Amino acid sequence: MAEAEARSRERSLLRKALSPSYACATPLELGGLADGSLARPAAAPLRDHVSGCARCQTELTLLKEFDNAAPRPDEERAVSWISARLERRFSEASAGPSPSRTHHGAALPRRSRFMALNVGGFAVAAATLAAAVAIGLREGRAPELAQPSATAPTVLRSAGITTLSPAGDLDAPPNELRWEPRTDAASYSVQVMEVDYAELWSAETHDASIALPPAVRARIVPGKPLLWEVVAKDAAGRGVAWSGKQRFRIKT
Amino acid sequence: MAGGGARGQQSCSTPASLAVSSSDGGDLEALSDADLVSNHLAAGGGGGSIWLQELFRRHYTKVVTWCLRVAGDREEAHDLAQGVFLKAQRYLGSFRGDSKVSTWLYSITRSECLNYLRSRSSLNDALDDDVAEALPDDPESRPENVFEFRSSVQAARALLDRELTNVEKRVFTLHYGDDVPLQTITRLLGLENPSGAKAYLVSARRKLARALQRWRACERLNA
Repeated sequence: MAEAEARSRERSLLRKALSPSYACATPLELGGLADGSLARPAAAPLRDHVSGCARCQTELTLLKEFDNAAPRPDEERAVSWISARLERRFSEASAGPSPSRTHHGAALPRRSRFMALNVGGFAVAAATLAAAVAIGLREGRAPELAQPSATAPTVLRSAGITTLSPAGDLDAPPNELRWEPRTDAASYSVQVMEVDYAELWSAETHDASIALPPAVRARIVPGKPLLWEVVAKDAAGRGVAWSGKQRFRIKT
Repeated sequence: MAGGGARGQQSCSTPASLAVSSSDGGDLEALSDADLVSNHLAAGGGGGSIWLQELFRRHYTKVVTWCLRVAGDREEAHDLAQGVFLKAQRYLGSFRGDSKVSTWLYSITRSECLNYLRSRSSLNDALDDDVAEALPDDPESRPENVFEFRSSVQAARALLDRELTNVEKRVFTLHYGDDVPLQTITRLLGLENPSGAKAYLVSARRKLARALQRWRACERLNA
């Protein structure tokens, strides 16, 4: 009992000590530091912090591992198999335009716009980055460089949402989906999916839970795994966080 | 390796509108990642354009390799990687060009993978099992002997920084900071010693326990 308490206390302390602090760099900032593209005013203090921070050094190591990721001999077959399946899946999904269609259309303003703004806007705003950060998997705190069009996908920062239920093997179909609320969320968009991501049901809510309609519950049958996810949106309807896909199923 | 090299860089001196002059897509490989994103978005951003396919093709290997190392299972890794690319497709409009596409993809991959690990760890307490397995009958590094009197986060950080090697710090950070199982850490960091991350965790805890003993001895002397 005493050992369990000590272990719990130790884990709690270590979690606090090793979680990102307000000064820690985001993956995007670390990438900017690593390739030298981070604007100078922001780079110096961030580099100082990163050099002495175990958390940031770990993130930097992971980023470099990812950037240089090549399958080891025992991974090659699996990587090839998965890559081939993904390529087939995204090729089949292709209903997009040909290059010539775009060429005959207007020039591509988006890139020009964000590249041009990148010089001035980023330099000014980046100077405030080191002091104006939040904790966690923070991303997208750099200045807005291009205004999304009305039809453009929402801006989604990579901060997470902690889901509460359902997860794993269940005895009965869940009555509701629950997650931890976020202070920056004005509403949530939830989706229940088959394992191939085919949507079963989706809805919007302002609460940190939502009841599953009887018709959806009826489709949750024993042994069949399902996925669900929740996206938090701000008052403007832009995504600010997502949960990732959570799996659950009813025991057979 | 997919996605490496200069074509993956953000900056590109050729205007994107000129870079797509070929009508047969033959010069796709000459486009930077950022050009591919721009062209895809400029064409409406829907479905799977040839630019999106080319962009994803460049990054399949690194994302899939990463997901495989996290999941340790081919089917699960496939689901994870597919989730990453679906998310990337859905939110490509949020890519603002102030980082490399590969870094942006990394942030999505990392988030998806951590969520995946959290959902799995909620099913069983794999973390404590990891620690228990890593520390069989080792009184020196039992929890009550480590950090017993160090309830300060700042002090813990300083101690970790001073006592541990870089690899031990990374293992500690991932395991205790992000709840990443030791086997996954072994794969992610490419640790090639026989017992992988466990060995680093054990050696780190012993070092910390010894450091605390020294600290207590000094306190007794000063008392």
